[in-house]
Amino acid sequence: MSGYDSALSIFSPDGHVFQVEYASEAVKRGTCAVGVKGKECVVLGCEKRTTLKLQDPRITPSKICKIDNHALLVFAGLNADARILVDKARVEAQSHRLTLEDAVSIEYLTKYVAGVQQKYTQSGGVRPFGIATIIAGFDSNDTVPKLYQTEPSGVYNAWKAHAIGKSSKTVREFLEKHYEEDLDDDKSVKLTIKSLLEVVQTGAKNIEVSVLKAGNIIKQLDVDEIKKYVDEIEAEKEAEAEKKKKSKD
Amino acid sequence: MSRRYDSRTTIFSPEGRLYQVEYAQEAISLAGTAIGILSTEGVVLACEKKVTSKLLDNDGSAEKLYVINNNMICAVAGMTADASILVNNARINAQSYLKTYNEEIPCEILIKRVCDIKQGYTQHGGLRPFGVSFLYAGYDDRYQFQLFTSNPSGNYSGWRATSIGANNSAAQTLLKKDYKDDLTLKEACELAIKILSKTMDSSNLNSEKLEFATLSLSKVNEGKVLHKIWSAKDIDSLIKDSGVLDDKRDDDD
Amino acid sequence: MDIILGIKVEDGTIIATSKAATRGISVLKDSDDKTRALNARNLIAYTGESGDTVQFAEFIQANIQLYSMRENDIELSPKATASFVRNQLATSLRSRKPYQVNVLIAGYDTKTDTASLNWIDYLGTQVELPYGAHGYAAFYANSLLDKHYRKNMKIEEGLGLLKLCLKELETRMPIDFKGVYVKVVDKDGIRSIEGY
Repeated sequence: MSGYDSALSIFSPDGHVFQVEYASEAVKRGTCAVGVKGKECVVLGCEKRTTLKLQDPRITPSKICKIDNHALLVFAGLNADARILVDKARVEAQSHRLTLEDAVSIEYLTKYVAGVQQKYTQSGGVRPFGIATIIAGFDSNDTVPKLYQTEPSGVYNAWKAHAIGKSSKTVREFLEKHYEEDLDDDKSVKLTIKSLLEVVQTGAKNIEVSVLKAGNIIKQLDVDEIKKYVDEIEAEKEAEAEKKKKSKD
Repeated sequence: MSRRYDSRTTIFSPEGRLYQVEYAQEAISLAGTAIGILSTEGVVLACEKKVTSKLLDNDGSAEKLYVINNNMICAVAGMTADASILVNNARINAQSYLKTYNEEIPCEILIKRVCDIKQGYTQHGGLRPFGVSFLYAGYDDRYQFQLFTSNPSGNYSGWRATSIGANNSAAQTLLKKDYKDDLTLKEACELAIKILSKTMDSSNLNSEKLEFATLSLSKVNEGKVLHKIWSAKDIDSLIKDSGVLDDKRDDDD
Repeated sequence: MDIILGIKVEDGTIIATSKAATRGISVLKDSDDKTRALNARNLIAYTGESGDTVQFAEFIQANIQLYSMRENDIELSPKATASFVRNQLATSLRSRKPYQVNVLIAGYDTKTDTASLNWIDYLGTQVELPYGAHGYAAFYANSLLDKHYRKNMKIEEGLGLLKLCLKELETRMPIDFKGVYVKVVDKDGIRSIEGY
């Protein structure tokens, strides 16, 4: 009768923790999210699920969440799970300020989020979180952009650019090919949007982008701004195709 | 043996899906339809009553419509017994916010809190998820009139018009066709009736098969929100006014 | 013998807090700021049992900040903030060791474009006032404020009235409170006023 304390995620005879692996599958079913580190900024972008005609854009929650004045998180996977994890991160960020008089460092925050995710792979009666997160921001009194990623297993890594969620492999390969060190703000945003366009067919209205700068500056791009980038990218692509065509002839 | 079921409540399938949650959603798609429409003057919620019997004694309370607080009402689809637990929770949360902040709870905060409870049942405790979806109609000074849905997974989203329960995709298509941004509350009510008359498989619509509620602003008392769960008489006269029955007759000819 | 004083004017609220941190008969510090910014347009000024005060104010600050984060930068109104603080003090009063903290909350509500000043004591008494003070300052300043306060004063006039009060306090108070920090909360946020 002690059903409640039996761990849901246990090792199988061949050494897998299936629940954790399956949770990663849930992540892959979630819409794509991208993070890119520039010279002086970090950019987070994500695919916004098609806002249906009758959906109310004012009150439909966003996938890019503010954790503290200097930190953003974007996730891929189960929305409801993310809400819970994001809330835990927000509470920790404030509690850290209260006890240490300092804002959390981005690495600490990542470690905390990953720690919570790990706990849910090893505790009794719970399933793991079905989400992966990308955490971005700046430490206090610092101008070095930070970008991390966490997985349902509780693993975390620092990245220069990264993608999670549906078709993230395609996006990751794109980023690997096109990423350059020390991009300026404009180019970082452009790379983010360009990489998302690899998997988002419907253009600007299904993309969401936020830019973080040192000194607690967070800027959410509106549709028109994103559209400007999208148009620019498309024009470039066309020009390139034209060029290829010509050289073929 | 119970252990076997306990530990199998809500876990990931190899494809990363939560079957228990999906089954719960499946159960809801069999429940009576509920429609919500946002208008410029307020929100209307309408639902189909599934249990109808001549011997059923109506005590005046609605079966699937609940008042949550001064500013919010909701409609449910799914297991009504589960719903009452969550509605009770929502009511307590609303009052506790009012007690703490001396202000009515903003709609989204309340919905988030209820959804957090729902999410909890998909992740721990060894219990099955809640088998209900909600339609919430609310008013607050952040976004004025609002319409939300939430489902057993603990997700929620905001809408201008939507439906849950049986035939919701058919209702959704009809809404997409007929919804306009500048509807008055009366037009919204009539639209709701019109859509229900098409999605419900009964030939003649009457107050016994319908429940209706509206949320609007008081014209006399500025800032006061009025919520009304409609009486059978009002519903019948709305059906008459909307002219859906006339259309039907025309079709028959 | 801390001084915390607040004056609400038409377009903002002014808060003055003494700079002296005292313990018994000693002044430990002459640059103690007895205020904390809760969010963009809410400022709490506190006095009471030292230790309790900062602990309480920062606890409130963390909670109000958490609210802002959760609600994606939609901030708690001054009225809601004051009610939250009152609720915390009232709960604390009924615990084993209550916080002995009295506060003023200066706020500006962008929704209604109104400034407000809330006076709350450790017993959980909350009143919205045009002007108010805690502790000894109240004995000396209230009569002056009663006489000279007008509803439609602007911030500049409010600061003038504050000067009058401070002069009286400097004359009558038995100890040196080392001057005051002055802050204004208005539609643009919270700012310090130099030269006091």
